[in-house]
Amino acid sequence: MRQNQSLTANVDWPLFVVYILLMLMGLATIYSAAFDSDHPSLFDFSQKYGKQVIWLCVSLFLGLCVFLIDSDIYRKFALPIYLFVILLLVIVLFMPPINGARAWLGVGTMGIQPAEFAKIGTAILLARFLGTININQQNKSTVLIANAIILVPMVLILLQPDAGSFVVFTAFLFVLYREGVSYDPLILGILNLIPIKGLHFKQTWIGTHFIPILFVTIFLSVATLLISNNSFELSLFPGIEFPGYAKMLFFIFVFCLIGYLIMRFAFSKRDKKRAALIAFLAFILAGGLTYAVNYSFQKLAGHQKERIELVLGLRQDPDGDDYNRNRAMAAVGSGGLLGKGYQNASVSSVESNHVPESETDFIFCPFAEEWGFVGSLFLVLLYLFMILRVIIIAERQKAAFNRIYAYAVAMILFYHFGINIGMNIEFMPVIGIPLPFFSYGGSSMMSFSMMLFILLKLDSQRKDVLN
Amino acid sequence: MKFEGRKYVFIVIFILIGIIYTFKLFYMQVVDDSWKLRAQQIAEQRREITPPRAVVFDRNGKKIVSNKTYYNLMMVEANIVDLDTAAFAKLIGWTVEDVRNRFKEIIVGEGKYKNPHTGKTTSNYQSIRAYPFLKELTADEISEIAPHLEDFLGFYEEVSDMRNYPYSNGANILGYLSEVTQEEINKDNFYTPGSRIGRSGIERFYEKEFRGIKGVKYIVKSAMNNVVGSFENGKYDTTAVQAPPIHLGLDVDLQAYGEKLLQNKKGCIVAIDPSTGEILALVSSPNYDPNLLVGNRKIRENYPALLKDPAKPLFPRPLASEYMPGSTFKLIQSLIGMQEGVITENSGFPCNKSVVGCHSHPSAQSVTQAVQMSCNPYFYAVTRKIIQQGKSKSDVKDAAIGLQKWSEYMHSFGLGKRLETDITGLRPGVIPDPEYYDKWYGHHQWKFSTIRSISIGQGEVQLTPLQLANVAVIMANRGWYYTPHFVKSIGNNGPLAQFRKKNYTMVERKYFDPVIEGMRRVVHEGGGTARRARIDGMIVCGKTGTVENYIGSVKQKNHSVFIAFAPMNNPKIAISVFIENAGGGGGTWAAPTASLMIEKYVNGEVKDLAKEKYILDANFIN
Repeated sequence: MRQNQSLTANVDWPLFVVYILLMLMGLATIYSAAFDSDHPSLFDFSQKYGKQVIWLCVSLFLGLCVFLIDSDIYRKFALPIYLFVILLLVIVLFMPPINGARAWLGVGTMGIQPAEFAKIGTAILLARFLGTININQQNKSTVLIANAIILVPMVLILLQPDAGSFVVFTAFLFVLYREGVSYDPLILGILNLIPIKGLHFKQTWIGTHFIPILFVTIFLSVATLLISNNSFELSLFPGIEFPGYAKMLFFIFVFCLIGYLIMRFAFSKRDKKRAALIAFLAFILAGGLTYAVNYSFQKLAGHQKERIELVLGLRQDPDGDDYNRNRAMAAVGSGGLLGKGYQNASVSSVESNHVPESETDFIFCPFAEEWGFVGSLFLVLLYLFMILRVIIIAERQKAAFNRIYAYAVAMILFYHFGINIGMNIEFMPVIGIPLPFFSYGGSSMMSFSMMLFILLKLDSQRKDVLN
Repeated sequence: MKFEGRKYVFIVIFILIGIIYTFKLFYMQVVDDSWKLRAQQIAEQRREITPPRAVVFDRNGKKIVSNKTYYNLMMVEANIVDLDTAAFAKLIGWTVEDVRNRFKEIIVGEGKYKNPHTGKTTSNYQSIRAYPFLKELTADEISEIAPHLEDFLGFYEEVSDMRNYPYSNGANILGYLSEVTQEEINKDNFYTPGSRIGRSGIERFYEKEFRGIKGVKYIVKSAMNNVVGSFENGKYDTTAVQAPPIHLGLDVDLQAYGEKLLQNKKGCIVAIDPSTGEILALVSSPNYDPNLLVGNRKIRENYPALLKDPAKPLFPRPLASEYMPGSTFKLIQSLIGMQEGVITENSGFPCNKSVVGCHSHPSAQSVTQAVQMSCNPYFYAVTRKIIQQGKSKSDVKDAAIGLQKWSEYMHSFGLGKRLETDITGLRPGVIPDPEYYDKWYGHHQWKFSTIRSISIGQGEVQLTPLQLANVAVIMANRGWYYTPHFVKSIGNNGPLAQFRKKNYTMVERKYFDPVIEGMRRVVHEGGGTARRARIDGMIVCGKTGTVENYIGSVKQKNHSVFIAFAPMNNPKIAISVFIENAGGGGGTWAAPTASLMIEKYVNGEVKDLAKEKYILDANFIN
């Protein structure tokens, strides 16, 4: 190891700059949304913006500490770190509940959320395990252990209960996919129970691409329920009511068509026929799936239907169960092209309090209301840049540990970004998770910062690693 | 790496989601306006600010109508959350039962609306609309309540203005305000529940000139419905603009004096400046203090009693009471006679009491003398000549032709039709025309002898005191008048155009002099009937009337009537006085009353205190 290098050598500056930019934009938004005219100073520590300044400084300090420590320790101490966060997740279950969940460790406002730090611990151990040389991705024990590493903290988090963090942990499944972990050992075990002579599977497509298929299935099912519920009319054909399901079929068709065209250009001549077959099969399978989901939903008993509709936010109840989303969408939608101007949010300021949690989980509301579509687009591009940058960093690592860890970071960031913004624009159910680096809150700010700084540190030392 | 290609799965997903989110954000924020409307519903509130109504000054610049600030406790039902009724009742000093009843009252009070298309009946009441829960609280009362309102979501205070009358005179002229009805709200979006509208008098006639321009304030409200601040720093706010002050031709001191003179009497005084048509005083007695009908609370307390009062204080007698004019009518008869050429100013007729009763006096040898002595047979003869001019051989046809002509003359004097004065509640009076009698007696079933009582202002002829005062104006002006009106100017604009147009009668200027000379003698010569109307140092021209009247067939005491103008050669005031059931003649009560008014107006003060006391002491009610 070369210890004589300067601290900032090989730091990925684009990622660092975006990180700083997001934190400052978040702080400015909190200052606007939670502004209290009796405490106008940004550094008034009785106010949320004052506290966020503290969290910001603490996070940067933690980042400095991370940079002072050799990155090798994460690989070496992966299991102790993991066990430590699991211990915290167990301890937190014995704390008094705040807002119905035992998620906080500590006293009063100075508590931390172990679930936030569990993401780092899980990412490290997963990287350590899958990064082992000679690991066999087709092995039964590989898929079982890898899933266990993810499932243990998930179960503990579900016991708190904290649905948001629970959902975020499924992000790690995509990391398994990237590393080629196959579910075939499990699926084959079931398939080969079928007693048909001469039929013996050695490999399945489903097992290989299990995670994407699983998520596409879930996505299509939810989308079917969301879209198929309301029949619609086209102005082109007045008087004819189309079932909502037709819309879904149309979307699938368009998607398959686009996919086919992309494949035609991407594939070699020999595979062009395969492209048509894949597109056709995808259409049949997806259509069949959505039809089955739609059919069984319509056959459900009234109260079951109602419950599903509530969970999905299908019930038009703008002042009741759908209150938060309705207010949030009004705030975002009223921003217009250029927004209402800084400190001019009328719907989502903390003072008017129409959008609850407008400085934490719904921080996108005041931002989008004040900066409009231009601001929203800028923010979306910043996050996309950040996530893609992490992928680029991941792919340039020599060490499998570093790559796997980076993919975990990218997926966690993507989940938070996708769900947090998505719930403001009707694409996601309301799940309380923060917008990384942007939302008010110490735990998320510190854990996301540490997660990012570990990545930066690993990246800066990528040439040192020999394995 | 074997699985390196899978990175594209990730990159494609990230970019795809980014594109989808961007499109959705673009649609929500830029294309679709529905979320902007929703945001408005949620966070913004449009509050209308009604300016105080225009203030009113009299002709001498005295403020006679002003505004006083009151407070309403407003309620928006949709915003009420977990109301602690007991605590709320305690705060406003009511019982819980009262509070509950008030809620019901508000809902029921809004009435119902029947949709003509669907036939569905729905309540006009809307839970998202603001209604006054308590009205017209004083500053002291609201200061007890307002600080605690934050405990009661859905209630807030609102400033409102109410009329204030520094002089308690002229109630029937000024009129009063009351709350708008649902129909009025539907018709004109200026009004919202609880707004006030002019209900009578000039407040009603000039409603639009009084109400001003509403202001609008957009505020940001919180989820708890508190006001957070102005919306976009008040970019869209407009200020309420009070209507410019309204100046009346009224002389409030003269008005007050007239009301005082008519105390304990039923009757009216109408005084007009003949040179402009401005009404100087319009007294209706008995009347009421306009401050009694300010605001709902007082209206509820006082209105029923005023309405039930047999003396009818709410009834604007000078505008709406139609009296027989009695002998004052003779002025016009003589003018028409001369204009028609059926008499000259030197025509004489014997005082033949066999056709119509008269008092003892020598026979009149001229129009002047006839007016001076108010000879009934003389005017009987004159009117007969006007009606029966021999234009047809048939008496009945001849009478119809004559009466038609006569009624046209009368209309040119502003009689038998409504004067278009700027006030509501005007009556036209009655000037019978052939059609009128055809209905009574049948076509061509009548002639002069049938209708002769019109010649001395009895019988079917009826006119209002305002019309009679206008006759005095015509006499003063020798043949023309401006339509009598109250409003002299609105802001910097003069009176309405219709009050700037001279109306000429059908009688030429030259025929007025002998009649006016007669009017002078009525007051100033020995044989005149209105010697009590004399004023030192001023020539008053007048004419008395004594009106016989009946309730059913029971004869009542005569009404005492007098019209006059003064000074003779430079008239400053024209006046009519009616005193009901005073007994005696026009000269006994009405004439001295008129002269006191003239003296007060022209000289500024009354020196004849004995005359004043004589009128003040008169009591014809008890």
